[in-house]
Amino acid sequence: MRAIGSSLPRGDAVGKVVGATPYSGDLSMPGMLHAVTLFARRPHARILALDLGEAGRVPGVVCILTAADVPHNRFGLNVPDQPVLCGPGDDEHASRVRFVGDKVAVVVAETVEAAERARALIRVEYEALPVVPNPVAARQTGAPVLHAAHPDNVLLHYRVRKGDTLAGFAQADVVVEGEYSVGGQEHAFLQPEAGLAWLDEEGRVAVACAGQWAHEEQEQIAHALRLPDERVRVIHPAIGGAFGGREDISVQIVLALAAQKTGRPVKMVWTREESIIGHHKRHPMTYRCRTGATRDGRLVAAEVELVSDCGAYASTSTKVLGNATIMAVGPYDIPHVSIDAYTVYTNNVPSGAFRGFGAPQSHFAAESQMNKLAAALGMDPVELRLKNALRDGSLQVTQAPMPAGVSMDHVIEQCAESIGWRRTAQGWQRPAAAQPDSPWLRRGIGFAAAFKNIGFSFGYREHCWATVEIHGGGDIDRVVVRCAGSDVGQGAHLAFQQIAAEALGIEAEKVEIVSADTATTPGSSGSASASRMTFMAGNAIRGAAEKALAMWRDEEDRPVIATYEFNPPATTPMDDMGRSTPNFTYGYVAEAVEAEIDTETGEVRVRRVVCADDVGRAVNPQQVTGQIEGAVVQAQGWATIENFVQRDGLVLTPHLSTYLIPTVRDIPDRVDSIIVEVPDPLGPFGARGMAEMPFIPFAPALTAALHDATGVWFDHLPLTPVRVLETLDEQA
Amino acid sequence: MKPAPFEYYVPRSLDEALALLAEHGYDAKPLAGGQSLVPAMNFRLAQPAVLVDLNNLADLAGIMADGEGGLRIGAMTRQRAVERSPLVAQRAPLLAETLPYIAHPQIRNRGTVGGSLAHNDPAAELPAVALALDARMRVRKQDGERVVAASDFFLGIFTTALEPDELLTEIVFPPLPPRSGVAFEEMARRHGDYALVGCAARVTLAENGKVSDSRLVFFSVGDGPVQAVAAAKTLRGQRPGPAAMRASAEAASQEIDPPSDIHASADFRRHLAQVLARRALTRAVDRASALR
Repeated sequence: MRAIGSSLPRGDAVGKVVGATPYSGDLSMPGMLHAVTLFARRPHARILALDLGEAGRVPGVVCILTAADVPHNRFGLNVPDQPVLCGPGDDEHASRVRFVGDKVAVVVAETVEAAERARALIRVEYEALPVVPNPVAARQTGAPVLHAAHPDNVLLHYRVRKGDTLAGFAQADVVVEGEYSVGGQEHAFLQPEAGLAWLDEEGRVAVACAGQWAHEEQEQIAHALRLPDERVRVIHPAIGGAFGGREDISVQIVLALAAQKTGRPVKMVWTREESIIGHHKRHPMTYRCRTGATRDGRLVAAEVELVSDCGAYASTSTKVLGNATIMAVGPYDIPHVSIDAYTVYTNNVPSGAFRGFGAPQSHFAAESQMNKLAAALGMDPVELRLKNALRDGSLQVTQAPMPAGVSMDHVIEQCAESIGWRRTAQGWQRPAAAQPDSPWLRRGIGFAAAFKNIGFSFGYREHCWATVEIHGGGDIDRVVVRCAGSDVGQGAHLAFQQIAAEALGIEAEKVEIVSADTATTPGSSGSASASRMTFMAGNAIRGAAEKALAMWRDEEDRPVIATYEFNPPATTPMDDMGRSTPNFTYGYVAEAVEAEIDTETGEVRVRRVVCADDVGRAVNPQQVTGQIEGAVVQAQGWATIENFVQRDGLVLTPHLSTYLIPTVRDIPDRVDSIIVEVPDPLGPFGARGMAEMPFIPFAPALTAALHDATGVWFDHLPLTPVRVLETLDEQA
Repeated sequence: MKPAPFEYYVPRSLDEALALLAEHGYDAKPLAGGQSLVPAMNFRLAQPAVLVDLNNLADLAGIMADGEGGLRIGAMTRQRAVERSPLVAQRAPLLAETLPYIAHPQIRNRGTVGGSLAHNDPAAELPAVALALDARMRVRKQDGERVVAASDFFLGIFTTALEPDELLTEIVFPPLPPRSGVAFEEMARRHGDYALVGCAARVTLAENGKVSDSRLVFFSVGDGPVQAVAAAKTLRGQRPGPAAMRASAEAASQEIDPPSDIHASADFRRHLAQVLARRALTRAVDRASALR
C-alpha cells in the first residue's frame, strides 16, 4: 500500500460542503464583544484631530481603540512601515493615512449595531494631501514623499548585469522590442477577514483567525503589543482560501489589543467591501523589454526595465520585486542580460503576495517577447523555446547555476504534443485551429512556459518544523503529526497525512494532524505560500517520521516522539550586479491555450487549456488537478474579466458586483491537466511545489492564441472587450 | 443586511390580493419571485411597509395557447417554465431564445415573467421582448380590468403604467404576422450578469421579399426598453441585404443615448448596439426568409 500517489478524499470536505465546519467568523464565546473598524476611505490625508466624545457615549460601547492605544504602532511582513492605527500625535508617520484602507479607529461594543452606530459618530478632522496615483507620478520631482526613508518614493531598485548586453545585442540578427502592462488583482477568497481574540487559560492573548503563517502573525502581534512572543497565541481554524491575500496582518493586531484592553473575547468580521479595500492586491506592473537572437534562434541578449506599483506600504513588495527580477527574461538561458527593477510607493491599496508572486507579471512580458521573437524569426514558438530552455547547470540571470532537476524542455514537449504540435523534419509545428462559420469569430492556439521558485528566496533563513508521535504497542496504532503549516483550503493537511503515512509505512487514516496553533505545534512552518508547504512540511514530517520510526524500533518507551527541523540549502541576496544564489529549487510548467475572439465585440472565450506541470511527485493527484484547474481559472480571470480599478487612490471596484470574477459559465470549456513527475532531488519523495505554477504561463499563452487568431499582439492586461477592440483597430 | 420591518400577507385568492393592494396603496408591494425585490429590500433600497405575497395564487401561473398562434402567460409563471415550454418555443420563439440569457437557472426557477415586466429594470430582457412582440398586459384591480399595450406599459426606470392598487395578471402575445422572423442578442461582461447592451429584433417580409415591417428594441441603454423607431423605418420597403441591415443598425446606434458606467462607456455601448442590432436583424431576416 502506498499512501503517496493515491487520490485519498479530503477529511475536511463534507464538513465544509454542508456548512458544519466553523471558520473564524463563525466562532463565538460567552461574554463576547464585537468590533468594527473605521477605515480612512481617503487615499492621502493628515489626521489633525479625532473626537470620540459622542461615539463613546453610545450605549453598549466598551472602548474605542486609536493610534494612542497601540504600544508599537508599526507593522509589516518584511518592512514595518504600516501604522496599526493612524491618528494625530507626535508620530508623523502614523498621523497620515496613505490609502483608503488605512485604519483610524476600532470600536468595541456589546453588539455589532452599537459598534456601527458609534463608528458613524467618530469625528475625524482630515487635511487632504495631494494624491500619488501611480509610479510615474511618484517618481516625478516634487512628488509628495510618502515615506520619509524613501524621498524618491522608490522602495527598492534591483539591478542585474550578466555578461555584456552591448556585445550581446551586437551578435543579434533579430531584436524584438515590447512594452507591457498588467493590472492588479483582488484575491476574492470565499471568506472575508475575520477573527476572535481572547485571554486564554494561561493568560496569553489568543487570536483565532484566517492567516497563512501562524508564527509570523504571532511575532507581528507581539511586536505591536510589545509582548514576548510566547504571551501571544495564534490559532488558524478552517480557512476560506488565501492565495497570498492572508500573508499580511488584517484583523489580528487590533483584535489582540481589544481583548487585552477589555479582558473579554472580541470578534470582528470584515464585510466584502472592507476586505476589498483593506487587504493588498497583486502588483500592477509595467515593462520595457528588448530581446535579441541570432538567425538560428539562439537568444543572445535581453534588457528589461520593470516598475511595480507597491501601493501605500511595503507589504511583500521587495520580495515580489526580487522574483519578478529573476524571472524577467523567462525560463531561458541568455548569456547577456541587463535588468532594472523598481517598486514604487503610491497612494494605492498596497500590493503584495498573490499566487505567482511576481512571476505571472514577468512571464507575461518575457513570454510575449518570445512569441514575438518566434514570429520575427519565422520560427515555431515551441521550437524557439526548446532551443533556449534552462537546463541543469544553466546560469540564471543572477549568474548562479540552476539547481539540479530542471525539467523545462520535458514539460514544454509534453504540453506541445498534447495539444497537437507536431515534430517534423523542419522542427516543431503549431497545429491550426479549426475556424468557426461566423466571419467575426476567429480562433487560435498559443503557447507559453514558465518557472517559479519553491520556497523563500534571497537569503531568507527558510526552515520548517514537525513533530511525529507514534502510539501503540507492537504495531503502530495511531500517529500524531504536529506541524504548524496552514491548510488554507489547498489540502495541505491531507498531503501531510499522506507523506507521514508513506514515511511510516502505515495507512493514512492512522495519522492525525495537529496544526496551526502556536501553543501546540512545535516551531514555525513558514508560510503557506511560495508553493512551499508540501515541499517544506513534507521534508520536515518525513524527517521526523523517520527519526521516530528508528526510535520505535530501538526503544521500549511508548509513545515515541521525534522532532525534526528541515533546512533546505541556503540562498543569498543579490549584490549590486544582481549576483546571488536566489533559490534552492524551482517548479516548471507549460501551457497551451485555444481561444476564440469576437472581433466585433471584443469578447474572448477560452475553449481549451492544456497545462503540463512538473510536480515532481503527485502526493495526491486529484488535489494536484484541482490546483491546476483552480490556477488556470484564476489566471483567466486576471487576464480577461477581472479589472481592479483605482482612480486617484480611490477604489472604483469595491464590490463583487463591480469587481467581476469568472463564474462557471465564463471559465474555459476544457482544461487538460498533465501531471509531469520528474523528481526534485530535494523534494519529499521527489515532490515539488506546484500551486502557483499553472497560473503563470496562462496570460501570455492566451495572447499568443489571440495573435494566432488575428495577427494582432495584445500587450496589456486585462483584456477587457473595449481594450481588445481598440488594439484590433490600432493594429488593423 | 436584513430588510426593514414590514407587514406580510399571503392572500389565498386574487380578490383578496387586490383588496390588500386597494387597502394599502403605495405602502404595499406585491411579491412575485422576489429575485429583484428581496435583494433590494435587504440592501434597504426598497422599504415597503406591506408585502403582498402572490405565490399562493396558482391561477396566475400557466402557459396557454391563445387563438390562432397566440400565447397567454400568467404573470406568476416562472421564467424557467417559459424557457422549457414547447408551446412557447413554437408560438413565441423570441421568448424562448431570450430566456437563457436571464441571470442564472437558480434565479429563473423563482423569477416570474410578470414580476420582471412589472419591475421594468432598464437592464432586463423581458420588457424589451414584450415590446418587440407587441404584447398586451392584462391588469386587474378590485373593481375592474384593463388591457395595456406594451408600448403604453413601460414608462421609465422601474416605472410602469400599473397603479398601486393594480396587479399585472396575464401577458398576451399575439401571433406574429406571416413571414416574420425574430432574434435576440446580448453581451454582458460576465455570463448571467446584466447586459452591457442587448436587443430584440423582429422583421416581417412582404410576399415580394421586401421588408414590410420591423422592430428593434434595445435594453441596458436607457430608462427601460428603448425602441429604435427611425432605424426600423429605414428598413421598410427595402430588400434586406447586408448593406441595408448595416445601415439600419448604424442608424439605431445613433438613435439611442446609452449611459456610461464602470463596465462600459457610452461610446462602447453604442458600438455594441450597432454590432448586436446588425446580427439580430440578419438572423431575423434569415428566419423570415425561410418561411417564405
